[in-house]
Amino acid sequence: MLKSMLMKAVATATLSTGLALGTWASAQAVELQFFFPVAVGGKAAETIQALTDEYVANNPDVKIDAVYSGSYQDTIAKVITASRGGTPPQLSMALSADMFTLIDEDLIVPFDDYLKSDEDKAWLEGFYPAFMENSQTGGKTYGIPFQRSTPVMYWNKEAFKEAGLDPETPPATWEELVEFGKKLTKKDANGNVTQWGVRIPSSGFPYWLFQGLTTQNDVILANSEGNKTNFDDPKVAEALQYMVDLSTKHGVMEPGIIEWGATPKAFFERQTAIMWTTTGNLTNVRDNAPFEFGVGMLPANKRRGAPTGGGNFYLFKGASEEQLTAAADFVKWITGPEQAAKWTIATGYVAPRPDAWETEAMKTYAADFPPATVARDQLEFAVAELSTYQNQRVTTIFNDALAAAITGQKDAATALKDAQAQADAILAEYR
Amino acid sequence: MTAAADAPARPRRRRFDLDRTLNTLAAWVLALMWILPLAFAIWTAIHPSAYEARFELLAPLTFENFEKAWGAAPFARYFLNTFMLVTLILAGQFLLCTLAAYAFARFTFPGRSILFTLVLLQLLVMPDILIVENYKTMRILGLVDTIPAIALPYIASGFGIFLLRQTFMTVPRELDEAARIEGSSILGILWRVYIPLAKPTYLAYGLVSVSHHWNNFLWPLIVTNSVDTRPVTVGLSVFSAIDSGIEWSVINAATLMTSGPLLIAFLLFQRQFVQSFMRAGIK
Repeated sequence: MLKSMLMKAVATATLSTGLALGTWASAQAVELQFFFPVAVGGKAAETIQALTDEYVANNPDVKIDAVYSGSYQDTIAKVITASRGGTPPQLSMALSADMFTLIDEDLIVPFDDYLKSDEDKAWLEGFYPAFMENSQTGGKTYGIPFQRSTPVMYWNKEAFKEAGLDPETPPATWEELVEFGKKLTKKDANGNVTQWGVRIPSSGFPYWLFQGLTTQNDVILANSEGNKTNFDDPKVAEALQYMVDLSTKHGVMEPGIIEWGATPKAFFERQTAIMWTTTGNLTNVRDNAPFEFGVGMLPANKRRGAPTGGGNFYLFKGASEEQLTAAADFVKWITGPEQAAKWTIATGYVAPRPDAWETEAMKTYAADFPPATVARDQLEFAVAELSTYQNQRVTTIFNDALAAAITGQKDAATALKDAQAQADAILAEYR
Repeated sequence: MTAAADAPARPRRRRFDLDRTLNTLAAWVLALMWILPLAFAIWTAIHPSAYEARFELLAPLTFENFEKAWGAAPFARYFLNTFMLVTLILAGQFLLCTLAAYAFARFTFPGRSILFTLVLLQLLVMPDILIVENYKTMRILGLVDTIPAIALPYIASGFGIFLLRQTFMTVPRELDEAARIEGSSILGILWRVYIPLAKPTYLAYGLVSVSHHWNNFLWPLIVTNSVDTRPVTVGLSVFSAIDSGIEWSVINAATLMTSGPLLIAFLLFQRQFVQSFMRAGIK
């Protein structure tokens, strides 16, 4: 009797220890929370979720909770609130241009501590340098590029034919853009324009596409420390004057502020023969343009040029060493060739490393749809997106200056000079 | 005054007619302006996207936009969440605001006016400023990523307390005293006298509250992380993807879908709502 009771007790004890060990082992699985914003519709969210699930399936000791966090602006609000509230995510995607903001808020840690081996360092070297420009500062790497884009030029081949232009040759310089634009601008009997030559949207965040023009005019808008802007450089004023002249002097672009979101639609409806917009639109244009279209690099002036844009991965403070190591490992995996290829094909974003373009999937995709490589080839000429400390405030000042010049409230030079003075007042304390 | 009263009747009637015509005209113009965005949303939602900016009477009808929108996010779950959320908030607000309003309207206790001033001060504070503090509180309570976490910060509504207090103050004291003489308890009086008389106010306040929380976006997005807790507005935000260009037809289909229950509820109860607004004096 006593013996059997003892046996039972031992058996129960063993069993419960076993159970406890089991739960202990699963509790040891590193849990990560990962916030991701989406700027290209439902497909991007699905792809991120699918890739995350694939990683978790292959790495049972890691659990990743991928949380869709709205737009880039919503994501920053969510990340900052969660961090201030004491539960930061371990990993998040956010605008590469928000790097200085996140450093200033003291929320992120550099990747360097988790990428120590020589192999890791070599891996870090493998990204396109243009994407790393606003991912590194002060010798440290804070962001790993993933959801990255760059603006390109789309043109309507049919409209080119109708205007007597070679449909395979887009304008290559600023002068050609004006010259082609004049031929492409069509008016009806009453003198109303039915088709504009070119469309460079200027609503919301005009600084981004405008940065294409400044880069082509061989001037950089902000230094790499993020504490000094260059808005009052005469070359910036020249670029802004060119943009304004497209409407006022040459009459090849719709005057006033041009809506960003409606731009692809205007292109499909033949309201414009050329549009500048992000490569993130590639899949949309491919699916919806009712005519043959071409995709090319932005035209050059003193040089070729375009900004980069989009989101990076960031590691957040307040996580354990194991969590951050696991997060860095996940980032390494998801930016790997096969995964980045899937991502690029699904969304149109530019795969951040050359090795992704060497995969079979990408080669097939690029052979089938050559415009996909334009953005990649343009990276050679690309520079960092405008990014400073107090980024939201500084870019707002700059956007307002651009809007003032575009709507004719101020002349280009005055608007930019005022903007520089305001930006200086904000950035002085970071120097 | 007297001059107007002495004036012959005929010109007065004509002036009255002109007034009436102008009023009717203005009402029609306003009504058309109000309905136009909705009409545009319905037009684009039931036609293929090629007809977004073109008006052709015989354009082909399609249901595809709704299918696309429904498939873009787990809307069935989101609808359930939103429904639970607004129900929880409304129930909490009615309970808390009724009791608080009753106390402020009919009882004298030390610090009453200071407390009431504090409640009124709440009307001046933008809820968005408190996001970080609210988040911290929810974390301490262990409620992050739950529906109660979205609801709790809104349950003690200063507006609701103020509105109900004002309504309760208009209830004649005689009714209160009569009920007391009949032997009704304090809560019994609230239940049998005050609440029935304030019904229009409850209906009006309920409508304002439900539509506000049905449409709330930022706080739910921040405090929740999973499909099981997020409301429809978060699902709707998937469509505001600026990088890939805006598909108006799908966005409008999704917007109609998410605001549909509210619109239908309003159309069904329209008469009651309008009457209750007039009685409650919210305009």
